[in-house]
Amino acid sequence: MTRCLEADSATFAYEDGLDVFTNVCASVHSGHVTGIVGPNGSGKSTLLRVLCGLLKPQAGHVMLDRKRLSSFSSLERARALAFLPQAVVPIFSLSVFEVVCLGRYPHLGPLRGLRPHDRHVAERCLHDTETVSLRQRDFMTLSGGERQRVLLASILAQEPDVLLLDEPTSALDIHHQVEIFALLRRLARNGYGIAVVTHDLDHAAHFCDTLVLLAPGKGVIASGLPETVLTESLLTTAYAAPIRVAEHPVTGAPLIWAETPEEGNEC
Amino acid sequence: MLTRARVLLVFALIVVSLGLAAASLMIGTETVSVHQAWADWRAGMTRYESPSLSILINQRLPRTLAALIAGAGLALVGCGFQALLRNPLATPYTLGVATAGSLGAYIAFVFELGGAFRVLGFSAVEASALLFAWADMTVIYLLASRRARLSPFVLLLAGVTLSMLASSGIMLMRYFASPDRLVMMERWLMGGVDIVGYEAVVALAIGVTPCLLILLAQGGKLDQLGFGHELAAGRGVNVPRLQAVTFLVGSLTTALIVSKVGPIGFVGLIVPHAVRTVTGSRHRVLMPVSLVAGGGFLCFCDIVARKALPGETPIGIVTALLGGPFFLYLLTRRHFTDWQA
Ligand SMILES: Nc1ncnc2c1ncn2[C@@H]1O[C@H](COP(=O)(O)OP(=O)(O)OP(=O)(O)O)[C@@H](O)[C@H]1O
Ligand SMILES: [Mg+2]
Repeated sequence: MTRCLEADSATFAYEDGLDVFTNVCASVHSGHVTGIVGPNGSGKSTLLRVLCGLLKPQAGHVMLDRKRLSSFSSLERARALAFLPQAVVPIFSLSVFEVVCLGRYPHLGPLRGLRPHDRHVAERCLHDTETVSLRQRDFMTLSGGERQRVLLASILAQEPDVLLLDEPTSALDIHHQVEIFALLRRLARNGYGIAVVTHDLDHAAHFCDTLVLLAPGKGVIASGLPETVLTESLLTTAYAAPIRVAEHPVTGAPLIWAETPEEGNEC
Repeated sequence: MLTRARVLLVFALIVVSLGLAAASLMIGTETVSVHQAWADWRAGMTRYESPSLSILINQRLPRTLAALIAGAGLALVGCGFQALLRNPLATPYTLGVATAGSLGAYIAFVFELGGAFRVLGFSAVEASALLFAWADMTVIYLLASRRARLSPFVLLLAGVTLSMLASSGIMLMRYFASPDRLVMMERWLMGGVDIVGYEAVVALAIGVTPCLLILLAQGGKLDQLGFGHELAAGRGVNVPRLQAVTFLVGSLTTALIVSKVGPIGFVGLIVPHAVRTVTGSRHRVLMPVSLVAGGGFLCFCDIVARKALPGETPIGIVTALLGGPFFLYLLTRRHFTDWQA
C-alpha cells in the first residue's frame, strides 16, 4: 500500500519553551528514503515525534494519506507507522527474540498471545538485520550497536508502511552503518516509506532520496535533493560553523567536513 | 520464550502454592481432623453441631482465603508498581498507601471508634484506614498527573514524602494514645489474617478481584512500557492511561488489603523478583504466576506463624523473617543486569 505521511505547516513548541519549529512542511513517501539532518538541538527528534503522532503540533496538521493522523486510533496508527526513538532504556531483561516479538504488539488479538505467524515475522526481521546469531542472548548484555540492530528488527516486526528512525546507526561500526542504510534502501524499494535522522551527512548524501535540513531555532531551512541541500552555504548557516563540501576522489560522492577553528584561522 | 524446564518449574510453583493453601486449611493452633470433619459433614451435621466442621468452615477457610487474596494482590501490585516506577525496589507500599492506611487505623484507635459502626463489611478502624489510603492515592495522583504522563520520579518523591508525613502522624497518635490502645495499635501494624466468618473475606474478595483482573489485563502493555514510554506509545499503547490505571487500581487494591489484614510487608517486593527468576520478565506470564505464588507464600507464612512458636506470631514478622534472608540469597544468585534505569 503506498503511503504518504506529511507535516502540513506544522508548528511545535514544548511546554514552557520557544517554538522548536514553525510552519514546517516535510513528507515521507512510500519508496523513498527521507533523511533528516541538522545540528544538535535543531529539532530532528521533535519533528519525528510530531510526524509519528506522539506530539501534537500547536498549529498545522500531520496527514497520513490525506487524512489527519489524529483521526486514526493509536493501534491503526502503529500498524501504519513505526517509530524508533533515539534513546531506548529498557528495565527488564528479555531475550533478543522476545524483544523483537514485542514489535508485534499492534497486530495481536485481544488476548495478546503470539501466533505462529507473529514468530515467523520476528524470525524474518532478525534475519534482515543480521541478528539471528543473537537470538537467545539477553538484550541487556548486548553491545550498543547490537542493541540498535535488534531494536531496528523489533521496529520492522511491527510491519508498518512507514518507518521513522531516530539515529538508528549512531552506535554502529562503519560496516554495519552501511549495511543498515543499504537495508533501508532495499526496504524503500519494496515499498516502505522511510524517514531517518542521522548525523552522518556523507551517508545521508549517498543513501537518501531527499533531505530535510534543520537549524536550531529556525526549523527547516532547506529540503530537496541531497545535492541541493548539502551546500557549503546552507550547511554553514545550519551548523553556525564553517562546513566544507568536496567530491570524494574515489566514489565521486559528496564529502563533507567541519573545519576546526585552527584551520579556519589559517585560511 | 519459556524453555521446557522453565514451564515445568512454573507448573511446580503453581502446584506448591495451591498445596500450601490446602495445607493451611489443615494446620493450625488447634488440631482439626479433616477426616472427622468430612465424616461429620457426610453424617449431615451442621457446623454448629460439629466442632471440627465449625473450626474448618468458620476459622480456617476464611483465614486461608484472606491470606490467598492478600498475598496474590500484594504480589501482583508489586509487579505492576515495579514496572510503573521503573524501579526494582518498588513495592505496593512505596507510594505511601500502607503508611497512610496505618495512620487512618491509628486515628480510629485513638478516638476509640473500634466498634462504632460497620459498613459493607468494614469496621470503623478498617474504614478509616481505607479512607486515609485513598486520600494518599488521590493526592499523589493529582500531583503527578499535572503533566500528560505520570513521571515515575514525581510519583516516587510524592509517595515517599506523603509516607513520611503519615509516619509523623502515626507518631503523634502514639503520643496521644493510652497504653492499652498502644498495644492494639502495635498489633495492628504487625498484620494478621486471623479473620473469622465470611463478611470480611467476601468484602475483600468483591473489592480486590476486579482490580486483579484489570491489572492482569495490563501485562502486555507493561512489557512495552519497560522499553520506555516513547517506544510504547509508538506501538500504540496509551501510556498515560496505562500509568493511571496501574497506579489507581494498584493503590486501590493495596488500600483494601491493608485495611483488612494490616501492612504485611515484603510479599509485594520479593514474590515478583523470585518469580521473575523462573518466568523471565514478560508480564503476561510473570503476573499470573506471581499472583498464585504470592497467595501460596502468604499461606505458608501463616502456617509458620501459627505453628513455629507457641501461641501465634504476627504474620508480618514471619514474612519479613522468612522473606528477607531468601531475598538476600536471590540477590547473590541473580545479577540484576536489568533495572539500569
Ligand atoms: N521534552 C522536552 N521538553 C522541553 N524541551 C525539549 C524537550 N525535548 C527537546 N527539547 C528541546 O527542543 C529542542 C529540539 O530538541 P530535539 O531533541 O528535537 O533535537 P535534535 O535535533 O534531535 O538533537 P540531537 O541531534 O542532539 O538529537 C532542543 O532545544 C531541546 O532542548
Ligand atoms: Mg535527537
